[in-house]
Amino acid sequence: MVKYFFKRFFRGCISVVIAIALIMLMVFSWLDPTLIFAEDEQYTKLSNNQKTLYTYQKWEEYDYLDYVPYTDWLNAKTASGEITEEERAAVAAIGRTADADNAEVARYVAEFTAEYEAQGYTVVRLDAVMATPTRIATGGSQTLFAFQNTPLLVRMLNFFTGILDFDNIHYVQEDIGERGLTFTLHDPAYGGEKFAPAIMGNGTLHKYLLYVDGSFPYIHQNFVKIRLGTSYSVNKGVDAFDTMVMPQGNYVRSTTYYPTGVVEESADDLHSATYLAGSRELNMVYQGLYTDDYTNVDLVKDSGSRVAYSFIVSIIASALAYIVGLPLGILMAKRKDTWVDSLGNAYVVIIMAVPGLAYTLMLKAIGNKLGLPTTFSLDNPTTLMYIMPILSSAIGAIAGEMKWMRRYMVDQMNSDYVKFARSEGLSEREIFTKHIFKNAAIPIVHGIPGAITGALSGAIILEQVYLIPGVGGLLVQAIGAYDNAVIVGVALFYGVLFIISAILGDILMAVMDPRISYTSKAR
Amino acid sequence: MAVAQAETIDLRDTGLSDAELFERIPQDTAAVEKITAPRYSYWHSVFRVFFRKKTNILILAAFAFIIVFTYVYPAVMGYDRYGNIMDSTAKHLTPWAAIEKFGFSIRWIFGTGASGQSTFDAMWYGARISLSLALLCTLINFTIGIVVGAIWGFSKRVDVFMNEVRNVVSNVPGTLIISVWVLVFSPSFSTLLFAMCVTGWIGIAYSLRTQVIIIRDREYNLASKCLGSSTVRIAVKNILPFMISFIVTIMATQIPAYIASEAFLSYIGLGISDTTLGKILYNAQSAMVTPGWGWEFWCPVMLSAFISVVLFLIGQNLGDAADPRTHM
Repeated sequence: MVKYFFKRFFRGCISVVIAIALIMLMVFSWLDPTLIFAEDEQYTKLSNNQKTLYTYQKWEEYDYLDYVPYTDWLNAKTASGEITEEERAAVAAIGRTADADNAEVARYVAEFTAEYEAQGYTVVRLDAVMATPTRIATGGSQTLFAFQNTPLLVRMLNFFTGILDFDNIHYVQEDIGERGLTFTLHDPAYGGEKFAPAIMGNGTLHKYLLYVDGSFPYIHQNFVKIRLGTSYSVNKGVDAFDTMVMPQGNYVRSTTYYPTGVVEESADDLHSATYLAGSRELNMVYQGLYTDDYTNVDLVKDSGSRVAYSFIVSIIASALAYIVGLPLGILMAKRKDTWVDSLGNAYVVIIMAVPGLAYTLMLKAIGNKLGLPTTFSLDNPTTLMYIMPILSSAIGAIAGEMKWMRRYMVDQMNSDYVKFARSEGLSEREIFTKHIFKNAAIPIVHGIPGAITGALSGAIILEQVYLIPGVGGLLVQAIGAYDNAVIVGVALFYGVLFIISAILGDILMAVMDPRISYTSKAR
Repeated sequence: MAVAQAETIDLRDTGLSDAELFERIPQDTAAVEKITAPRYSYWHSVFRVFFRKKTNILILAAFAFIIVFTYVYPAVMGYDRYGNIMDSTAKHLTPWAAIEKFGFSIRWIFGTGASGQSTFDAMWYGARISLSLALLCTLINFTIGIVVGAIWGFSKRVDVFMNEVRNVVSNVPGTLIISVWVLVFSPSFSTLLFAMCVTGWIGIAYSLRTQVIIIRDREYNLASKCLGSSTVRIAVKNILPFMISFIVTIMATQIPAYIASEAFLSYIGLGISDTTLGKILYNAQSAMVTPGWGWEFWCPVMLSAFISVVLFLIGQNLGDAADPRTHM
């Protein structure tokens, strides 16, 4: 059976890969790439050639294309010793137009053009934009560069191979001293007195590779990180996965023991320190706190991550749906064809027919009237703010559970074994609890993981209405800001969740019902 | 009778040969199929059962009302969203204030919106696009879904292939596909229609495929096959009638779902640029909580709920009536 589920998971992964590939095809090939700058303030401030250069730089940063400015090419040539520093300085400045180049510059420009065009690059030369015949307009200086679009297949390959990012001691390219991992029983981040095992690295991206702390799941690792692509506008420069799992809200200050021995009340999370080349030298504050270049730290915040909020709301809502929906469904089946049944059916019909948005908004208005908080606030969180979103999510799910539970119960009630049990003289109570309910519960149990993921993906609407800082809201935000990496990342998140929930449902069903087997041998 | 019996003629006495006496007549295929049974017409029975329930007439009347107001009313009255935009006193009026200002007309019974437009006109104008979208979507998805579902259920080779296709599609939330599609292409009516249809038919085809597999191996179809019916004939004559009730029932849940998904897409700002019910909600969001402005928000909400419930009930009851087992 393990083999069967492993195969199912593998096949599910393949279908998710195909689906993600399709989404990548759509957002990266069909969508105008300049749209990613829609929310970029810096982009709007720039003008003329500088704006063009900025777009190409960003596109390279976000893996759209490979971009080589003329000056970089010259620098590389100087570094490799092909030309001297004096020669480089002499030809670095190109003329305002191609005709204005002196002979030496023209020779290098021609060489640059020939070299990159041979590799399939497009060479672009932008002439200076003149404000007056002698003065260059703001951002209008002449420029020369070559670029080549990254083929979609390469992009996809980069994406899928880059999902799991393994940290290693050769990660840092600069000279960093002795590379290696050290194991300590007394984590210096806790002052070096307290017993707290940790594995620390030098030469790795993360300073801490394994450490313990007081938050779930208590033991944390940084050996393998999941990367789903860097966000452009929603959470600039941060990976989509981190955006989903990083805590939000207000900073929490606590006693922090910095490597230099300084003890301060600070929100810095030293366990998240990553390497940032040359950062200590450039920053006076860092020099007082850190002893190496592992200075890039996250800040400790008090609220849950986006994933946490989404899961909390959808799990509680699903639980509520089962707790309320199942007994009501059973009641409807027991009192079939009475007013109880009709009332229940009317409720199911209304919920099924009325658009989810409509009743969610109505509930929000009702909550508002009752004085309950109807928007999430991370600044002063209260448990009350969960009530309306959970209720809105549950109210639809309850109808679904009622409908199916009633259906299954009625089907079982009419089956022959129930009539036989009755003829044997079993009490109605016994028949219901021992026979009908047991059998009707099997398909219901099968649906539990699906219900939770369904609530998660349905939460897009909910998170929009109640402003919950969750994953669904992130998707809407990303779509609004054309943040392609986040769109793809969230899609992958949902896809993997869907496969896992389908498999979990089947496992639960097999656990509930020993007759079900997924391997042909056992039959 | 007794006389006739007495006058029985022995054929041998006539002196005629068998060839002269008997004539071989060709087999009448139509007569063979005829079974002596009470006259039964499927569609006749469907409507008989449908109209037996008196509430259905009420629901049909409501449906006719919706059709008239969505398709005829805007065409007759016209709708100008920016007609009163210069008149600052015409904005966000309650019904009473609007009637007082403009005089009584059906136009003003729900007050005015943010640019002084009539809420009543706006919501029917929006309903026209929302309903057209939902109906077109249903038409396309069900046509493709039924044809593909029938083939999917019958052919083992197609089954293997289509199951994989479904795996790919079902692993990504539908909302995501639609929103990315609308994002990539211009948010117009045809884009939205295409986005809702591009994967929408798979679910319908799949549920139909399951039904076809259940029914296709029943004894009566085996018998039909033994008697020489072709697969197409079995599909169209034997199985499709069984499916009608099922198809109509899922249609009843799908049409409201399409209306809801359009409203949702517009609400998150991905809808089409034209006025739709969802777009009105999107534009009137701030009016929801502002005292006195509620009419311009709640009326379209109520209308979308009303249209959905009516279409859902018609579908459900028609689905019940289409089930031959209710025709007794």
